Amino acid sequence: MKAKKKSNWSVFRVVNGLIFIILALIIIIPMWKILVDSFDLKTAYGMKLWPEKFGLDGYKSVFSNPTLYRPLMISFFTTITGTILALVISTMGAYVLIQWNMPGRTFFANFLLFTMIFNGGMIPTYLVLRSLHLTNTLWVVILFPALNVYNLVLLRNFFEGIPASLFESATLDGCSPMQTFIRIVLPMSKAALASIGLFYAVAYWNDYTHYKLYITNSELYNFQMKLRSVIMGSDMPQTAGDATENTVKNAAIIVVILPFMILYPFLQKYFVKGVNVGAVKE
Amino acid sequence: MKKTKTKAPKQKMSGKKLAATIYRYRGFYLMFLPVFVFAIVFSYLPMFGIRYAFTNYNGIKDPTFVGLKNFQKMFGMANFWSAFTNTIVISITKLILTTLFAVVVSLFLNELVNIHFKKVVQTILYLPHFMSWVVTASIFSLILAPTSHGLVNTFLVNIGVLQPDKMIYFLGSEKWWRFSYYLINIWKETGWQTVIFMATLAGINTELYEAAAIDGAGRWGKMRYITFPALGNTILTVFILNLAKVMNLFESAFVLQNDAVLGTANVLETYIYYQTFNSGAIPNYGYTTAIGLFKSLVGCVLVLTCNQWSKKVRDGRGIV
Repeated sequence: MKAKKKSNWSVFRVVNGLIFIILALIIIIPMWKILVDSFDLKTAYGMKLWPEKFGLDGYKSVFSNPTLYRPLMISFFTTITGTILALVISTMGAYVLIQWNMPGRTFFANFLLFTMIFNGGMIPTYLVLRSLHLTNTLWVVILFPALNVYNLVLLRNFFEGIPASLFESATLDGCSPMQTFIRIVLPMSKAALASIGLFYAVAYWNDYTHYKLYITNSELYNFQMKLRSVIMGSDMPQTAGDATENTVKNAAIIVVILPFMILYPFLQKYFVKGVNVGAVKE
Repeated sequence: MKKTKTKAPKQKMSGKKLAATIYRYRGFYLMFLPVFVFAIVFSYLPMFGIRYAFTNYNGIKDPTFVGLKNFQKMFGMANFWSAFTNTIVISITKLILTTLFAVVVSLFLNELVNIHFKKVVQTILYLPHFMSWVVTASIFSLILAPTSHGLVNTFLVNIGVLQPDKMIYFLGSEKWWRFSYYLINIWKETGWQTVIFMATLAGINTELYEAAAIDGAGRWGKMRYITFPALGNTILTVFILNLAKVMNLFESAFVLQNDAVLGTANVLETYIYYQTFNSGAIPNYGYTTAIGLFKSLVGCVLVLTCNQWSKKVRDGRGIV
């Protein structure tokens, strides 16, 4: 009886392991297929999971082409500036929200939370941004996503965990709020800053909706916008060397996910931490 | 997310004292200023734009007041109603499916014994969540193509399920679009959703399992009496939090749809987008603002209902 249970258990372990190998393959194969086809200079055939005629011409087409190079630079620029800006204003806002005795604190908190419940909608937002002359500028795609109330609440939850005595002793030492913030709060929150910073960076890098809604000047498109028009076939760049259209499409997809793919294995723990920053307090 | 914090009892402050306190906190007010300005510009100013819902406005001439005409027009439009039901059906089915898959995967993931294997699996499962919807749509439009280039169709032909001349237009036929949309969502989001369930599972006190084992509970018994009840609360929380967002469906549907499938794929936000920016005619911002207002109100009612529900289920904790 005992032995039978044991062997059932090990059968389950093997089957369970197999299930996850299959699941992992289901996640990976679509991406692997794109990677393979990006190196393949022969027209792609569906079942092929290894390049038939290997070549880098797909990537040459992407990088030699100014209409693709420029959107890539815009993606980098908006991601870097946007993430810094978003972190600065979110951390300051979150820090103010833990000043429990500050007159008006509750009002400020509700003022932010209300924006999570109700919004003006797509068209009024568009009209306001247009009347402020923010549409068709990079300002709108840098500024708009910089305040994410959800991320701000996560940061606030994290700051709450800092012992109040540290703040008191800093104040006694004559630190101004800003000095306390820079000397005590920020250094103690490196992990949380990394997590939330990464969430912001991914949001900026992946942004498509804000560009689609507020930017019509194709000079200001980021790489996601460009990739979309390349895939839809409305804006095929000139191919270099032996690259087929299909090779260039696949290479373009790889280029946009590559920076993240390289960093991802090292950063994964911060993403998970970021979720748990909020979950701990839930 | 609101916390009941033990605060010092509120004393009535005299005007002078209040002014002094405010002065003492002046640095903090200054630090809050950027957040305040951002919220005003990007959230509150647009709310005042809701008045356009009661006007005809084409962006060139001044808006003219028309009362509730836009709402009358909206409720008389078949396209509006189809977008409305599509939003509800697609959003909620998607939510149920991804939550269900995430729970099942978490339960099995939790049983993996080899720590390194588990870490690798988790890393892979989380990955698609961080890819943009544009990239996801690009990958799947290539993978699901109904030609010899498409991985899925050629696979189905090779194993004999499909005739070569009857390949499936997964993203281009009304019959298959929703099915494909749900599958892509499950592919993209299941892994990341397991994070929160795994955290719950890790938080279960192992002594409970030991006690259950002493009482003679087998693997199934432990699941039935310990694991499921612990997960239940988290599932409900996740479900309520996400239910509040069902009306906001835009980007994922937008990048995966095309003219051929709009009957089953058009949701309210994409309907508003096409009516305003893609209709070919001069847009009536008033009409599309009215649809947006209706959408926001339904969303708001959902959030508040969920909040009440959440308070009941989660001992007084609301979602906002």
